[in-house]
Amino acid sequence: MKINKLLSKIFILSALFLASCSDDDSPQLPKGDYENGILISGEGSGAGTGSVSFVSNDLTTTENLIYKKVNNDELGTFLQSISFDNDRAFIVVDNANSVTVVDRYTFEEQAIITTGLNTPRYIETVGDKGYVTNWGSTSDETDDFIAIVDLNTYAVDGTIAVENGPERIIENNGKLYVSHKGAFGTNNIISVINLSDNSVEKITVGDKPDEIFVNAKGELVVLCGGNESWTGNETIASIVNINMSTNEEISSLTFADGEHPSLMVLDSGTLYYEIGGKVYAIDEDATALSSTSIVESQGYLYGLAVKDNRIYLLDASFTDLSELNVYDLSTKNKIDTKAVALGASKIYFN
Amino acid sequence: MREILIVSVFCIVCFKGMAQNDSLLNRLEEVVIQADKKLKKYSVGYKVTSLSDSVIVRNTESFTSLLRFNSPLYLREYGSGGTSSASFRGTSSSNTAVIWNGININSINNGQTGFNSLTVSLFDAIDIRSGGGSLEYGSGAVGGTIHLNDYLQFTDTKQIKNQFIASLGSFETYRGIYKFKFSNSKLAINAGVSYNQSENDYKFLNTDFKNTNGAYENFGFNVSAAYLLTNFSKLKFYSANYLGERFFSGELPNPLTANDKYQDFNHRNLLIYTHEKSRLSHEAKLAFLTQEYRYFEDRTSSTFNFGKSKRYLVNYDASYRFPKLKASITSHSEYESAFGKTDQISERNRRQFSQSIIYNQNINSAVSFDAKLRKDFNSDYDVPFTYALGVKVKPVRNLFFRANGSKNFRVPTYNDLFWPGQGNLDLIPETALQGELGIGYKNNQFLIDIGIFYINAKDRIVWTPGGDPDRPGIWVPINLSKVNNKGLEMTLSFNKTFHAHTVKLNINYSYTVATDKATDNQLIFVPKHLLNGNLGYAYKRFSFFYQQLINGKVYTTESNSNDFVIPHYFVANTGLDYSLLSLKKKQLTIGLKVNNIFNKYYEVQPRRPMPNRNFNFNINYKF
Repeated sequence: MKINKLLSKIFILSALFLASCSDDDSPQLPKGDYENGILISGEGSGAGTGSVSFVSNDLTTTENLIYKKVNNDELGTFLQSISFDNDRAFIVVDNANSVTVVDRYTFEEQAIITTGLNTPRYIETVGDKGYVTNWGSTSDETDDFIAIVDLNTYAVDGTIAVENGPERIIENNGKLYVSHKGAFGTNNIISVINLSDNSVEKITVGDKPDEIFVNAKGELVVLCGGNESWTGNETIASIVNINMSTNEEISSLTFADGEHPSLMVLDSGTLYYEIGGKVYAIDEDATALSSTSIVESQGYLYGLAVKDNRIYLLDASFTDLSELNVYDLSTKNKIDTKAVALGASKIYFN
Repeated sequence: MREILIVSVFCIVCFKGMAQNDSLLNRLEEVVIQADKKLKKYSVGYKVTSLSDSVIVRNTESFTSLLRFNSPLYLREYGSGGTSSASFRGTSSSNTAVIWNGININSINNGQTGFNSLTVSLFDAIDIRSGGGSLEYGSGAVGGTIHLNDYLQFTDTKQIKNQFIASLGSFETYRGIYKFKFSNSKLAINAGVSYNQSENDYKFLNTDFKNTNGAYENFGFNVSAAYLLTNFSKLKFYSANYLGERFFSGELPNPLTANDKYQDFNHRNLLIYTHEKSRLSHEAKLAFLTQEYRYFEDRTSSTFNFGKSKRYLVNYDASYRFPKLKASITSHSEYESAFGKTDQISERNRRQFSQSIIYNQNINSAVSFDAKLRKDFNSDYDVPFTYALGVKVKPVRNLFFRANGSKNFRVPTYNDLFWPGQGNLDLIPETALQGELGIGYKNNQFLIDIGIFYINAKDRIVWTPGGDPDRPGIWVPINLSKVNNKGLEMTLSFNKTFHAHTVKLNINYSYTVATDKATDNQLIFVPKHLLNGNLGYAYKRFSFFYQQLINGKVYTTESNSNDFVIPHYFVANTGLDYSLLSLKKKQLTIGLKVNNIFNKYYEVQPRRPMPNRNFNFNINYKF
């Protein structure tokens, strides 16, 4: 129990630290209520645990390490992603082989799933089931799988074998779409899993497919980063649109040689993507990429989100707290900067 | 005030003396043959602490724990038995050079020595020199150097000595050491084998977990020999070999995920010819060293990542003495050709040549100094000209002042330069200018040495994302930060015998402020306060020791956030030995050691608990 005492001391210290840092006119810190705000997940590193930060929608309060504060426990490294259902958040930590289930508004822990996972990356919930992409053993390219979690018992009660390096996973119309970025290597496929019988089909796309979205026209939009030069087999990057009934490619926008976009979001009909720290925006129907960036990161751009006329950039640090920079989408002016989670990588609106 | 009291009480009650070790060295000086003459000869003005073989065999758990409890170094360890590194005075772990019989053995792949990937129980002495030593020992000797030495000795009559140590400890830990020494007036041979094995599955205190993937096993075999060719010339040979396999333990909250394995294979061989006649002496050295690691991400898989290196060294020293001046001048020339490769980097050859000149003089008996210059030529990059000066003044008996200043460097490693897609061929060596002033008092029973140091390092090689604007988002090593380290290092030792009672005490304390010039914050993983003490007490056949470590809080983030710290820790070990047999030619001792006697939870790296209380029973037979 001594460690708990110690941890609580740390919490008190950090609470004091935060209290003293916040503006005088700011409201009271939310007491375990993380509604109406932005959640930022940080991967963590050798410098500290993976964690979740909360920033209120009005940007007046920031609270770091909210899971640790509420539950007196650390999430470990590397916190890869979070997914939500109505009232729960599912936090995926790859090196810890865990999916931690919390109340999405109080962050109180409800369960920690560790059995049946192996380097988990992303989770998608469909009714009472959660589907978790897993890399399996990092030295085996043939044991990658989707773990099926029963969201009532939190037990993994089935798996679906897939090809190497499954990454993002989304559900649409009774099917799961999984991008295979390729784990430590590279891959170039989207798996389509039919939930009625868990059968798997493949769609070949560009190398290193990562972000996937369904656009307003019901097409699957995939960002393929392309192989970087260090892989020894450099390939070009592209944004690919796929017809979800035929699984055929409809169109593809290709990037210039040597450009490897790593982030993309879709908001209200506009695609935002990143190349070398600069963010570009195009209409989702655009037939060409943009040549002028809308905002540029001052650091190591590692996370991107757009909502309600604001664009949020995460300048990640793995040796310290990261920066969340918020810009007005119309004026492109920076509105605010917040110190958030160590190794910050993803932004969620709660 | 209360703290000072506690510290002074602790000092009074606190074992193994530097004074004692020092005098031992002095006594052996004339007869012991050492491979590395530089350390003894050219450490004027530096603090050198020696760990004798009795201290070494008492801390056989690992090199890491030996240094943690007996030296001014700060040790980082990824769980007990895991990857481990050591640093002096707030410098980085690649700024600590490990010197085997005079040869720098830091890896060319990552510039460091893994302190859990070599066994030291076979060495006759370990010397720790604080302060810059690039001039004598090359790259990485910035914060200080750790010397692993074999002592050979000719004797007038034929002598054969054997020593056998076996121990049995908690977590299924078994160790065995056998050392053999043969000597006569022309030939001296030392040989030793060591074997260590442990499940190392200690409980993580306050959790339901154990250190399930922490087992290790290693085998060491050393042999050295000296042969007197003529009255003026000797041939010496040294060989050290190590084979080890370790599993890397996991971290909280789910240590069960740990599944990786690491193997080391090291072979080091050195041949030395010396010729000393009247004022002129020559020494020629040939060395061949190989090092290999294999990292298995999945212990059940046969696929692994590896790094391999081969190094060939040729060295020639000539020294001329001026007896009237009590001075000497020495030239060291060294050529090295190193071949390194990893699974990611195809084989690269680095060739380097260095030339140094050392002038040493005693001006009457009160003042002595060394002045040293060195120039390196390297096939991969420019190495700056380096220099060093050391002075020792003894104005009155027992009191001494010492000072040293030097410029030192650390060259980029193979990984820094050549890692595919990430290496940076534009890197230049890190350099550090440093100075130290010390004062001390020494008599037969008591020694105190207090030094203040200042290190100004620049062009530190740091891996950072987006370090190269042409490679956005990629982690690249660049010459980035400037840091200032300053602080105080104190060593105190005391030993006294009255009637049948012997008390020995040794304390190391260091206070280190190491700041990044850009932020003025304390560097990560540098404790401000670090203290260890050893108290020994012997009465007739019994001897008892108590060792205590106080390791201050460290920050793990550059902004020194209090959300990310490793709290300070206090850890104590104790032991009791009983001598069953104490004859001139045969000695048999049995002992019990209790590590972490107060069963404290502590972490050295975040989320990696260290062992709870554990026991070790040992038997030491010399014949």
